[in-house]
Formats: sequence, structure tokens, C-alpha cells
Amino acid sequence: MTVEFVNATFPIITVSILIPLIAAGVVFFTDEKHAKPISIITSIIVFILSTFMLFTYDYSTYAIQFYEKYSWIPFLGVSYEVGVDALSLTMVWLTAISFVAAFVWSTNIQKRIKEYFIAFLILEAACIGVFVSWDMVWFYIFWEAMLIPMFLIIGVWGYAERIYAATKFFIYTFFGSLFLLIGVVGMYIYQFVEKGILSTSYFDLVNLGLPFRLEIIFFLLLALGFAIKVPMWPFHTWLPAAHVQAPTAGSVILAAVLLKMGTYGFVRFSLPWFPEASKYFVPVMFALGVIAIIYTAMMAIAQTHIKRLIAYSSVSHMGFVTLGTFALNMEGMNGAIITMISHGFTSAALFLAAGFIYERVHSYEIKDLGGLARFMPVFATLFMISAMASAGLPGLSGFVGEFLALLGTFKASVITAVLAGLSLVVGAGYTLWLYHKAMFKESELPNEKIEKWEKLKDMNTAELLSFLPLVIMMFVIGIYPAWWIRLIETTSAAILSKFIGG
Amino acid sequence: MSVLQELVAGLGAPDFSVVVPEIIILLTAFTIFAIELFTKARFLISVITVFGLLLAGIVIPFTPEGETFYGLYQVDTFSLTFKFFLVMTSFFVVIIMRPYLEAKNTYYGEYYYLLLFSLLGMMMMVSSPNLITFYVGIELASISMYILAGMYRKDYLSKEGAFKYLIMGGTGTALISYGIALIYGRTGSFDFSTIATSITSGNLDVGAVGGLAILLIGLALKASSVPFHFWTPDAYQGATTPITAFMAVAAKIATFAVILKIMVEAFPFAYPVWTLGWALLAAASMIFGNFVALRQDNVKRMLAYSSIAHSGYILAALASPTDFAFTALIFYSLVYIFMGLGGFIFLSAMERQYGWSNHINDFKGLAKRSPVMALFMLVYMFSMLGIPPTVGFFGKLGVFIALIGSNIWWLAVVLVVMSIISAGYYLRIVIYMYMHEPTSKARFNFSLGEAFALAFMATFILILGIYPTLFWDISGYLTAVLLQNIGK
Repeated sequence: MTVEFVNATFPIITVSILIPLIAAGVVFFTDEKHAKPISIITSIIVFILSTFMLFTYDYSTYAIQFYEKYSWIPFLGVSYEVGVDALSLTMVWLTAISFVAAFVWSTNIQKRIKEYFIAFLILEAACIGVFVSWDMVWFYIFWEAMLIPMFLIIGVWGYAERIYAATKFFIYTFFGSLFLLIGVVGMYIYQFVEKGILSTSYFDLVNLGLPFRLEIIFFLLLALGFAIKVPMWPFHTWLPAAHVQAPTAGSVILAAVLLKMGTYGFVRFSLPWFPEASKYFVPVMFALGVIAIIYTAMMAIAQTHIKRLIAYSSVSHMGFVTLGTFALNMEGMNGAIITMISHGFTSAALFLAAGFIYERVHSYEIKDLGGLARFMPVFATLFMISAMASAGLPGLSGFVGEFLALLGTFKASVITAVLAGLSLVVGAGYTLWLYHKAMFKESELPNEKIEKWEKLKDMNTAELLSFLPLVIMMFVIGIYPAWWIRLIETTSAAILSKFIGG
Repeated sequence: MSVLQELVAGLGAPDFSVVVPEIIILLTAFTIFAIELFTKARFLISVITVFGLLLAGIVIPFTPEGETFYGLYQVDTFSLTFKFFLVMTSFFVVIIMRPYLEAKNTYYGEYYYLLLFSLLGMMMMVSSPNLITFYVGIELASISMYILAGMYRKDYLSKEGAFKYLIMGGTGTALISYGIALIYGRTGSFDFSTIATSITSGNLDVGAVGGLAILLIGLALKASSVPFHFWTPDAYQGATTPITAFMAVAAKIATFAVILKIMVEAFPFAYPVWTLGWALLAAASMIFGNFVALRQDNVKRMLAYSSIAHSGYILAALASPTDFAFTALIFYSLVYIFMGLGGFIFLSAMERQYGWSNHINDFKGLAKRSPVMALFMLVYMFSMLGIPPTVGFFGKLGVFIALIGSNIWWLAVVLVVMSIISAGYYLRIVIYMYMHEPTSKARFNFSLGEAFALAFMATFILILGIYPTLFWDISGYLTAVLLQNIGK
């Protein structure tokens, strides 16, 4: 695989990583009351930068654009190497928009404001870093550095069981990423021994030409790291705990951005690096994907806690991404990427909705809700759109991605596609059921609840502003997906070049 | 012509220019010794010590390289670099020592000159080209430290720790001298290069191997590697905390440097013997240190066990006899200075505060009571755990690459699994600091020295974590110097 590079005239990516870090430093040294505006402005600047990249990215041919490379540790052959292709760019943009939503939402935060925003700003820098790094050491640095702020966010600003959830999250992902590290170091050593190249660059490792036996080993090592992050069944148990305990904005980032790192890892590394092993493991990955989709969809039905339900639904949606990725054809790959971004919007919106409900009703239990739609029409509308998008209603973003992913899977394995497709019904089921129980059922509402509900206020400006961009994007992708598919098409082809010979 | 003149004429006058740093340290120690007899001006004593250390630190980069004392003392970049870091460590210990000792009501002038003597011993250790200078150095360093460990006179634990340290340390030096005797008997020399030549030419028989094995055990004892670690937790816990910092960092670093030097320079072709030995010791240290640290509620003791675990990570590099592994060892030793000092100086600064007993419960809500201090501790903890962007990550990464590069997968896996286990106790401190409510609202106050030392360590950990290149280059250069000495 030979790759072309388009050097950046202005180091826009480095700047996008540095701005949040600098802002974190500024927040640390300034008064508490400036923390919110600084953070919101920072996230908007980053969003503008990433949008600028999105619109100036040349999608006609595959090339790494806005590319920067500087020597960093010559002794180990490590460089600072960043750049984007359409996949990275999609993820960066998703990160940027999710953080805007999270920061705008967080204007309600009252507890330890400074630390809260510092943690989120550092998290933003690390998340962007993961998606733009082409040097494995930098990738790993960002991948791990992200654990520290997320650990604190869950553990400090979470709910009752927060310490347990934070520790579980940390140790689980730390465990996975160390296996990822073993794999990458193994390949690095192999490259040095076999080819005499001392480099941790992605573009060197991709041309390694590993023997099949080693490919299998390294694939498994890396896959363990990614599978925990996705999370794939059976490594998903940290996710419901973390989501239930995390503060709303933390859940938003966790669902919209962090989960994507795992699937990003599969697409970015596993496929191009280990083509033979990937083909070999297709049945396994399909099986795990289908189990994830069906099992967690069933789990979701049984939940009475809103956030836990959404968390399980996330695992289920990630199953579609796994299927699309390992379908190893263009439809599947496009579907996987579109599902990734669409799930970013829908899960972020659903968690915001859960947080919104909690702020008013002070409960996440579905049985404590009911009939809210009459009292908060604006919220009910937005929640409805998000839920429908998540369930995969045509015209909204969820449908496009999952349809393409299923189409790709169908080409690869009919039975898998049928099983996964059937579970879409279950998915629609629990989402509608959640919405129905939380928002409708007015007739069953006891009088004291009606009295209480009448005092509740509909969305305030901050909530509306954090919600709206996500909902708009659901429509944009749902109604005119061709635009985004055209953007990622060359990239998908490049990623699959070892499979479909393009 | 007197006998003395004759001697000097025959052998040539020793070149004193290469030992100027040592002379400065020695003179400072004597000056304090003398002053302390007449005056009780504590401030003056600490200022003189700091001044002496600063002077030595400034002189070290300008010290010429060379041999002196008729080949018994070797000054090269390797030893000078380690001397610089040893002096730096002592400097930070000294600037935080006085407030601690006064708060604990255990101030004695002896602390200062014993610390300097011990430092001198370590400086001799790292510049020894033969086993005798090394032996004298390690004895000087150890004996001073036995006393230092027991100087918290009112405290029973301190006496117990010091006594254990004395007995175990004495055993260690006895083993070392026995090993040296065997090696001398086989090779007929104390000199590293002569030993190497002799062993290469086929003298690696029972005598030499036995000597090497016993020497290795003695060194492992000094480096507090499992199963020769029994003195470590008690001595570390019992000693006054600044002295613990000194023992856990300076003594360890000097020991690692000298272990590397002896193994590489004296036994370059006896790899099969010592690589496996160090690998087993390292694995035992990692496993034992981490598991026991999990169960500790006293944070000082926890850090003592964690330092055993870190000995394991560092010594693991010796399992792979390659340039890269040596570089990784030097790199990890150097960066461990910042984490180790950070952790123990933090405890030293906190112990002065009202109601602080080093129990994990005292850490509750620290982030609310003192956000900056909690942030520093967070940095040290994540660095010891090895999470980027702290430099601890690169320390472990280096060792890890070295192990996989030499196909020692089992030890690499032990290292990784133990790192995960260690998350249990490092995270616990972070959890108590950030996620629990404070139990007391008492204000903290810190001396300027403490604040400076802690901020320095945390900043350096982060800077090196993002730009480790400088330290990699230093380590790589030192390895080159080492290998040059054996003509490779």
C-alpha cells in the first residue's frame, strides 16, 4: 500500500490538539467563573477548525491530508506524525461536535467546576489525538492519556456507585490496551529484525508482509485491545456500569467518541495490517457481532434504568459496525463508518435526553416517569427524533448506516445478515417502548405526578443548543447520505485495497 | 629524598582534578561536622550543605574525564552523569529535610554529614573500575545509611528498621566480599577489564560462576530485589521520610548503575549466567512487590513495596544483554528519580501537617483541601503506573521493547500483567484523593523547598513524558561509553 501525502500549509491538526490543552492550563490558573465560557469557546474553535478541514478535504483521491511529520525520538525511530484521511476526519469532526454538545450541556454543572472543565478539555485533546496520529507511539500515548481524565470524570462527578464503575472502566481498558501495546511492539521488533527499519510509523508497519502465523497472533493481541474498547460481547460489562454512573456529559463522550476508538482501531489497523488474519477471523467476528446485536438488544429490553438501556443499545449498534467492517466489501465498510458517526449523534442525544430527564425528575428509573410529552413538547420532539434515528427509521441517520452494513454483510454471509436484521425489530422495540413509557401513557398517570410534572420546565437555551446540532445532523445524514459516503468512499477503498484489489 | 617523594616520583602524583566533586562533598561534610560541634545554628548547616551540593553539581559537568589513584578510580561520562543525578537527588532531599525533622522533633546535625558521606560512597561506587573501589564505596554508602535509617530516635519502628537493615545489609556486603574473593581467586584480579579478559579466555568455571552468583545475590540484596528484600519495607517505613526518599532513590540508582557496570564490564561474556538470574529476581520482585503493595493501608509502606516492584521493572532489562536493554535500564533508573522523589517528598511534606499518619484514609478529599498537591501526587502515581503522557510510560516501554526484542516473552508478559495489578493500589490513592469527601478541613502549609521540589518533579515527569528524547540520548550515550570500555 503506497500512500500519498498532502502536507499541511498550516499545522491545523496540531493546533486543534494544542488549543484544548492550552485552554486547560488557562482554566487552571484563572477564576472559576471563567471556566465555562473558556471551555465552550475552545470547543467551538476546535469545531470550526475541524469543519474547515471537512470542507477543504479533497476526497477525489486517497491521500493523507493536512499531514505533518517531525522527528521526535530518533533513538526509537519515533516521529510526531499526524494527518487525516476521510475516516480520521469523520471521527475528528464527530469528536469536535460531541464536545461542543457536552460543554454547552455542562453549563448546569455546579460541583468542582474548574477540575471538571480541565478534565474535559484534556479529554478532548486526547480524543482528537487518537484519531489523527499515524505514529504508533503517539497513538498509544493519546489512547492511554484519555483514560486519566475519563477515570476522574466518572469517579468524581458520577453517581452513587461511581468509584466502582470508574475503577472497572480503568482497569478493563488498561488491560486491553497493554495487549495492544504488546502487539505493536512485537511488530516493531519484527520490522527491525526482518527489514532493519526502526520506525513506529503506521505507513511502515502496514507494508510489513507478516507470515500468516504471526499475523494471527498480532491480530488477536490488537483485537483484544480494540474489542474491550468497542466494547464487543463478551467484553462489554464495563460499559453499562460506566454509563450508568458517569455524569451526563461523560456518558455523551463515552458513547459518542470513546466507543468509536475501538471500531476505528479495527478499521484502521486490523484490516490493513492483517489482511489474511482478518479473512480468517471473519466467522468469529461475525459471530461475536451477531451475539452482541441480539444478546444486548435482549438485555436492553429487560432494563428499567434509562441509561443502562441506552448503554446496552450502544453495544448492540456497535455490533453492526463490527459486521460492516468484517464484511470486507465497500457497502459494509461505508455502512460501518456511517453507523459510527450516526451512533455518535444518536447515542449522544439519547444520553443528553436521559440527563435532561434526570435533572427534572431526579430519577433514571423508567417506572418513575410517564406522560412527560404533554408537559415538555419541545423536548419530546427532539427525544422522539433521536429515538427514531437510533431505532433506524428511514430518513434519519441510523437507517443509512445499518442498512449499508447489513447489505455488506448480506453479500458476505446471508445467515448473519438475516439474524442481525431480525434483531433490528428488537432494537425498534426497546427504543419505542422506552419512549412510550417515559413520554406517553398519560392516561395511567396518577394525579400527584401530574401536579409535579406541571411545574417542570421545558428545555432551556443551553440544553436546546447542545441538542439541536446533533438532531440536525441526524437529518442531514439521513436525507442526503450520498454526501458523506462520497467523502469516505476513497478511504474505504484504500482500507479494503488488500481485499478487493482496488 | 623522603620515602613519600620517592613514591610520588615512582608512581606519579595522583590527578586530583577528576575528583573535584568528591572533594567538594567531602569538605562540605567535614565543615558541617566541625561547625556542628560549636554551633546549633540549624539554618546555617542546611545552607552550607545546599551550597556544597550546588557547587558539586555545577562542577560535575566541567570535570575532566580520566583515571586517577593509580587506576583505582575511573571518571568517565557514565560516572559523571550518575554523579550529577545523585547530587541532584541529595539536593532535593536536603532542601526538604529541615522542616520535617523539626516538626518531628528529631533534628540532629548528623543527618547532614552522614547523608553527604553516603553520597560520597555512592559517587565512588559509580566510578569504580574495579571491585575494591566498588566495595569501599558501597560500604561507605551503606554504613552511613544504617545510621541514617535509625536516627528517628524516639520511634521504635525506626530502630527496628535500622537494625534489620544493618543485619541484612551486613549480610549483603559479606556476600559481596565473598563473591569478590572467589572471583579474585579464579582470575587473579579485581580489575573489571582483567576479569573480563580472564573469563573470556576460558576461565568461566565453577569458581568464577560461583563468585559471580554470590556477588549477584549481594547486589540484589542492595537493590532490594525479592527474595532479598526483607529489610526494605521496615527500613523505609521506619526512617524519617526524607531519608527514605534518599534511600529509595539515590541508593537505588547508584546500585543499578554499579550493577550494570559490573555485569557489562566485568562479565560481558558470562551472559547465560547472569541474565537468567536477573530475570528471575526481576520477576519475583515485580510479582511480590505489587501483590503485597495491594494490601497496604499505610501509604509509606505501600510506596516501599512499590519501589521493590520498580526494582523489578528496572532489573528486568538485565534479562536481555543488548545495548538497547542497557539503555532502557539507564533510562528507567534516571526517570525513576523523579517519580520516587516525588512520591516520598510528598509524604514528607504531608507528614508535617496536623493529624497526618500516612494512612490511606488521610488522603480522603485531598483534592479539595489542596488541589495543586493532589494534582502533583496524581502525576507521580500515574507515572509509576506507566500511563502516558508521563515519563513512567517510556521507562516501561523501553524495558518492554528490550525484552520482546530478545524474545523473552514470559518476562514481558509478567511486566505487563504486574503493571495492571499495580493499577489497583496507585489508583486507590487517586480515588481517595479525588473521589472521597475530606474528613478534616485543617489547612496545609508547605515550605518553599517542598513546594519547589514537588513542582519540579511533577513538571519534569510531564515534560519528559512528552519529550523523552533528551533522556533517551543521554542513556544511549552512556551505554556507548560502557560498551566502549569493554572495547565493543
